[in-house]
Amino acid sequence: MKYIKGLLLLVGVYIITLGLIYIDIEDSRPIVSLFKNLQSDSSLEVVDFSVDKEQIKDTKPAPNKDRNAYYGDLHVHTKYSFDAYVFGVTASPDDAYRYAKGEGIEHPLGYEMKLKEPLDFYSVTDHGFYMGMIQAYADTSTDISQNDFAEPFHNLNRLDNLTVESAGERSNIFSSVLGATIIRPYPNWHPKLLKAYFTRNTQDALQSFDYKIHKSAWADIARSANEHNDPGNFTTFIGYEFTTSTDIEGGNLHRNVIFNSSKASIRPWTRIDSINPEDLWTWQDKLREKGVDTISMPHNPNGSNGQMFEMETFKGNAIDREYSEKRMRNEPIVEITQVKGTSDTHPLLSPDDEWADFEIMDVRVGSRPPTYSKPSGSYVREAYLNGLTLEFTRQGNPYKFGLIGSTDTHTGAGAFDESNYWSKVGLLDGDPENRGSVPLAEENVERLDEYMRAFNQPNSTIELEQGTYANTGFTQWGASGLAVAWAEENTRDSIFKAFKRKETFATTGTRIAVRFFAGYDLSSIDINSDSLVSDAYEKGVTMGADLMQDENKTPEFIVWAQRDKNGAPLQRVQIIKGWIDTNSGRPKENVYDVACSDGMNVDPITNRCPDNGARVNISDCSITNNVGSSELKTLWKDPDFVSSNKYFYYVRVLENPTCRWSTWDAIKRGYKPREDLHETIQERAWTSPIWYTPYESDVEVIPLGGTIRLRNID
Amino acid sequence: MKYKISIFFTIGLVLYLIDTGLNSYNDKEIYISDQEIISLINAWKSQVGRNPNDDEIARIINNLVEEEILYREALLLGLDAEDKIIKRRLAQKISFLKQESIANNFSNEEIKKYFTNNKDKYYIDTKYTFTHYFFSYENNSKDRSEDSYQGLTNKLPVNSDVFFLGKNFVDMSKQDIENDFGNNFSSHFDNIELNNWIAPIESAFGHHIIFVSKRVDGYYPDISSVLKQVEVDLLQSKRDKAIKKFIDEIKINYKVFINPELKI
Repeated sequence: MKYIKGLLLLVGVYIITLGLIYIDIEDSRPIVSLFKNLQSDSSLEVVDFSVDKEQIKDTKPAPNKDRNAYYGDLHVHTKYSFDAYVFGVTASPDDAYRYAKGEGIEHPLGYEMKLKEPLDFYSVTDHGFYMGMIQAYADTSTDISQNDFAEPFHNLNRLDNLTVESAGERSNIFSSVLGATIIRPYPNWHPKLLKAYFTRNTQDALQSFDYKIHKSAWADIARSANEHNDPGNFTTFIGYEFTTSTDIEGGNLHRNVIFNSSKASIRPWTRIDSINPEDLWTWQDKLREKGVDTISMPHNPNGSNGQMFEMETFKGNAIDREYSEKRMRNEPIVEITQVKGTSDTHPLLSPDDEWADFEIMDVRVGSRPPTYSKPSGSYVREAYLNGLTLEFTRQGNPYKFGLIGSTDTHTGAGAFDESNYWSKVGLLDGDPENRGSVPLAEENVERLDEYMRAFNQPNSTIELEQGTYANTGFTQWGASGLAVAWAEENTRDSIFKAFKRKETFATTGTRIAVRFFAGYDLSSIDINSDSLVSDAYEKGVTMGADLMQDENKTPEFIVWAQRDKNGAPLQRVQIIKGWIDTNSGRPKENVYDVACSDGMNVDPITNRCPDNGARVNISDCSITNNVGSSELKTLWKDPDFVSSNKYFYYVRVLENPTCRWSTWDAIKRGYKPREDLHETIQERAWTSPIWYTPYESDVEVIPLGGTIRLRNID
Repeated sequence: MKYKISIFFTIGLVLYLIDTGLNSYNDKEIYISDQEIISLINAWKSQVGRNPNDDEIARIINNLVEEEILYREALLLGLDAEDKIIKRRLAQKISFLKQESIANNFSNEEIKKYFTNNKDKYYIDTKYTFTHYFFSYENNSKDRSEDSYQGLTNKLPVNSDVFFLGKNFVDMSKQDIENDFGNNFSSHFDNIELNNWIAPIESAFGHHIIFVSKRVDGYYPDISSVLKQVEVDLLQSKRDKAIKKFIDEIKINYKVFINPELKI
């Protein structure tokens, strides 16, 4: 009897606790939310993953106060990402770092991937959510693999599976993970739910999740980063991808998160915690209070269907200064180019920019069947303009970010070279037939059709002059890009600080280098003097910074670009200017050629360089000799400047044209390039902008309606 | 007593025979578990967004059956035997198994041995400290650099260009030099004369008259200065070599035959 009473009491207390927790979750009033104070936050537990490793003093070069350009990739997936593992990738983070340091590693299809020249920094950024879980499902010796949801993954290891023919099955598994159909929570009364609630670890409430395996995958990624970090010579960052999207429209909101030291949270903060990027920033803010600094870097805005750079918040509220500051505190840089296309601008957004139609990828990331991604809200140049507009309406500027490139490779190894390209998803696009650059062999047409139907893509081939080609979207991808930081030395601290002050530029995989300065007295500098750079730092500001108004003075700019010694010579340097006028806030943009190759001059009417005559011979991809420049350098003054307008200026450096990867693929196998693709591209670099900020206007902007909180001025 | 035992024995034997007769493995029988079907139907559902109808379920099961039949027939024909992909996949699986569980406390002897065997990995390269006059391709680099070089010997002032990567280079290995200058520039450093201006050398960007002020010959560092790094590398190499060790251990049980007459 006594026991029964006790038992009943226990059950009663349990039920009441559950009840109160439900009220807590549903109700945010502080009186009711008793338990919120009892919660701990597992995502804020900080661990030092450092490996004890001393520095050989003699091998660390002295810092350079004028800064060096360091080249790297901040977006690399390995076997720990579900969509790499299911596509045959078995490269570990260690393999990835070895590749970056110059060693060769193996592609899932068996060939070697190797860099022409090692990189200076690298970050393995596997998907945070379900990190490490998929291998655990596939490995039948683990407990978690014995659950029924893990069963489709057992098939992955079926003997005959490491082939391109398995693409359909693999794609299906991929989508069931993305579509989260394997996410199944425990029933409401289950104690695991209580634990998940009290440690704020939602994933712990899922049957398909094993926290221990998850943590150990993350610890291995951090361990590998710390082991390969070599201050002065090679830098790594502990990192992961926050793979989130909007609820509706499948708007891609993916971001990579990197840590500034050997310390990191005990687990990545993922889309299972929240799909709202603003919550990610809150977590980053809290980590920063604990001494761990991070930045998150949005990627593929081009595939976001206009959601990456919206004029409102995630939940549709008005952007205010608090939002803008929070976003900029946590997201100083954006990935403008990668394998899945370039997000500078779109021909529909910049109809007067002849170079806007460059590596456009116009579908939403991961959509099936491929679904158009609308340009507005999806490209960085427009975002810069919208940022100025938001500032004009006193909402702060949430789009004052710098630029980097990276690859998003899923093989551990970035493909930067058009003439040696393996795309990025392993088995799916590791050979020319499957990525659509050469015709499909007869027996492969039906197979591809069948598998792509399984992948919800009924029209997977296209008939062209030379035969039937795969038309599965990979033709819009390309060999891009690199992140470049101007830093004093090749250390975590120094490069991370460069990211934070946005002193960065992006390239499409080429190793162009570019300096960019603005100021009011730069014409007093001798641009042929050895002290050019230190003088420019002293008298001006550089990429990523603000130039504040100085009465009616017109800004002057110094641009200096150097070619990639293994790439094509430079064709021209441009300054891209965007602004809104003081009266209407109307956005405008203009592209100025500022330096031309071969000593030619810019036409002052059209702002364009004359044709330098560089051409590509499509039959063998050779380029015209002795045309183009090894470096371009100039002092430029804005010819149409109004001191009361808000401006941004960024540099675009263009190489002479060279063959696109699809052309290389074709000619190497004896075909002509596909007639519906660009045969050549112009490799390029973009710097972070310099923003010109006029004095605060005393005109108040009063929007109609008045329900939104805009006027929290200063 | 004996009689009774033999009755039980006989009954047992009969039961055994019946049992084995009924359960004998038949490679023409295919068993499909409920779970397998359910998980396939679930996958279908997640793809299409509704439950499959009876026809569709039949098709799903039929596909599964056909796949299994083809798989078994392929095994019968021995098609698995010479398939590189299958081999590689299996080999990868076992190497993952072997790579787990490696202890990371090493004895001093072990560390020393690794260091001695991998000395070259820790070799500190020869380093050069130099300055230069740069003449850009954009500005008639060849003639100007040659003229300037002649002028230098008569102590005439040099009118050179500014180099993107700077004026002075400190403690550069040949690899560092190559990365910065390209065009096989570093090959000129092998027997380069110190403290003297060197005749123009061509880089990927123009011509350079260089002056090497310091050269520190390469050397093998003392183990104490790289100890931690050695430990980390040893652990990594152990992880890499776990599978190799496994192979070495069992290799002795295998005999390998290769046709000595084979001409390639």
